[in-house]
Amino acid sequence: MNDLLDIVKKIGFFLFSIILGWLLWLGFTTFSDIPSFIFPGPKDVWDKFLSVLNNGSLFFHTMITLQEVLLGLILGLGTAIVTGYFLAKSRLVERVLAPYIVASQSIPVVAIAPLLVIWLGPGILSKILTSALIVFFPVLVNTIVGLRSVPEELYDLMKSLQASPWQRIFKLEIPAAMPVFLGGLRIGATLAVIGAVVGEFVAADKGLGFLVNVGRGLYDTSLVFVAVFTLVILAIGLYGSVVFLESRVLSWQKKNGDHSTSVRR
Amino acid sequence: MKKFFLVLIVLLVLFLSACSGNTSSQPEAGELTHIRLPMGYIPNVQYAPFYTAVEKGFFTEEGIELEFDYSYETDGVALVGANELQFSVVSGEQVPIARAEGLPIVYVMAWYEKYPVAVISMTDQNIHIPEDLAGKRVGLPGLFGANYVGLRALLGAGNLQESDLTLDSIGFNQVEILASGTDEAVVGYIANEPVQLKAQGYDIDVILVADYLDLVSNGIITNEITLSENPALVQRMVSAILKGIQYAVENPEEAFEICKIYVEGLEDADQEVQMEVLRESIKLYQTDPYGYSHPDAWANMQDVLIRMELMKKEINLEDAYTNDFSR
Repeated sequence: MNDLLDIVKKIGFFLFSIILGWLLWLGFTTFSDIPSFIFPGPKDVWDKFLSVLNNGSLFFHTMITLQEVLLGLILGLGTAIVTGYFLAKSRLVERVLAPYIVASQSIPVVAIAPLLVIWLGPGILSKILTSALIVFFPVLVNTIVGLRSVPEELYDLMKSLQASPWQRIFKLEIPAAMPVFLGGLRIGATLAVIGAVVGEFVAADKGLGFLVNVGRGLYDTSLVFVAVFTLVILAIGLYGSVVFLESRVLSWQKKNGDHSTSVRR
Repeated sequence: MKKFFLVLIVLLVLFLSACSGNTSSQPEAGELTHIRLPMGYIPNVQYAPFYTAVEKGFFTEEGIELEFDYSYETDGVALVGANELQFSVVSGEQVPIARAEGLPIVYVMAWYEKYPVAVISMTDQNIHIPEDLAGKRVGLPGLFGANYVGLRALLGAGNLQESDLTLDSIGFNQVEILASGTDEAVVGYIANEPVQLKAQGYDIDVILVADYLDLVSNGIITNEITLSENPALVQRMVSAILKGIQYAVENPEEAFEICKIYVEGLEDADQEVQMEVLRESIKLYQTDPYGYSHPDAWANMQDVLIRMELMKKEINLEDAYTNDFSR
């Protein structure tokens, strides 16, 4: 009963927050003399949303961006996990690669995105790579932290049980590192959207970033708002998916009393 | 909760102060009117007339203190349309597009006579006329802006459709993309990319849009409020820029030297190449008479934009521009 009440409360606050935001937006655009090409009202944006939804262009551009984001996420995750594993396991590898990895993170993706277009061409690949680049670092760091947080005594336990290297990875390291890794994935999932859009801003003829550019070029600020809101929903959707994944993957952790380093049986 | 409301109030105050409108006023005797001028691009030798006009005191003579603003062209247009700023440098196609969307901007002075967009290709591609673009892979910064409009105008002149060729959105990487052979042709500014490619030793062919269709090109816009409430300011602004254009045309070497004050890195750049960029730019200027924009160029521009569906409806072009301030 209490759980149900909690859910109703949460939904209530969420709706209240949305309605309050909508009212403030409506009030601001109605009572100020600011023109709609600078700051459109909710009705202008809603009408534009329906228009691009009905003609199919919103769906088309959203699917393009989603494709870039998911492929970028997969590439970024894969690279970060493999690199992170070796960095966590070998101080030597860490010492050799760390300067490059840290230096690469000090370069804004937006600065190298035009170069990626030159190197990889103007197609989808450059957008996937900008997305992967931005995902890479947080996932890498969390993978390393997750793996290094496994207590030594658990390794000793695995050794005493004569576990094979694969058993050690799958029965100890992956479950133990998972909570921290998923924390990195949460950040990475939302950053992947930013990465793809940065790529689209530089050079694209499709995708939500392109739609923002078109809206700006035509002084159609409502279209910019629609594209931006869609990007927000996309990012929230991805974040929610990771949270859901977390609740499923880490359900064993709760059952075991929230000991993040418990060995999975 | 108290904090939440405090934040809300602060946000509202910020919003209201942001939309409080135009703050400029008529200058008192001897006082300079401060004008922030969006240029639409990064500091570049192509802006030599403006830099020259400042350094030669033409703006001061007209009672204007000029501040350069290198933000996006569309931002400049929107700010002028909202009467947050009084003037902006824009490409001609922006005026009908913006007016069709309800932005009350007016083009008051032509800087370029010729539309500066061109299709550039390596000579071995044998692209000499628009018809030669059929079946080719063409790179352009994006499907918006002057490059796209220029290309579509050229395709129209060659009775081609967009579907007759493959378009690649490549950002502002035309030189690299053409040099690497990724695309068979690229769309760029006649005074920029062709000069850079030639300087690197490439043999290129160029098709200039202006050779096929007269389109209204780069110039200065203001808004209807400034035009009706302060036409003297518009006249002063236009006069100062026209003097700058004339001076740069007559003294290109000196104008180039002046550019070094404003364009960071110009001192260390290839002087011959940069001087060539300026010479090519000067060839495009509207000089006879200075500042005049031709009605046919406006009509052509509107036709192209409607064909491209960048404008949903025709606008009254007479409201979109005036030659009253040019000479």
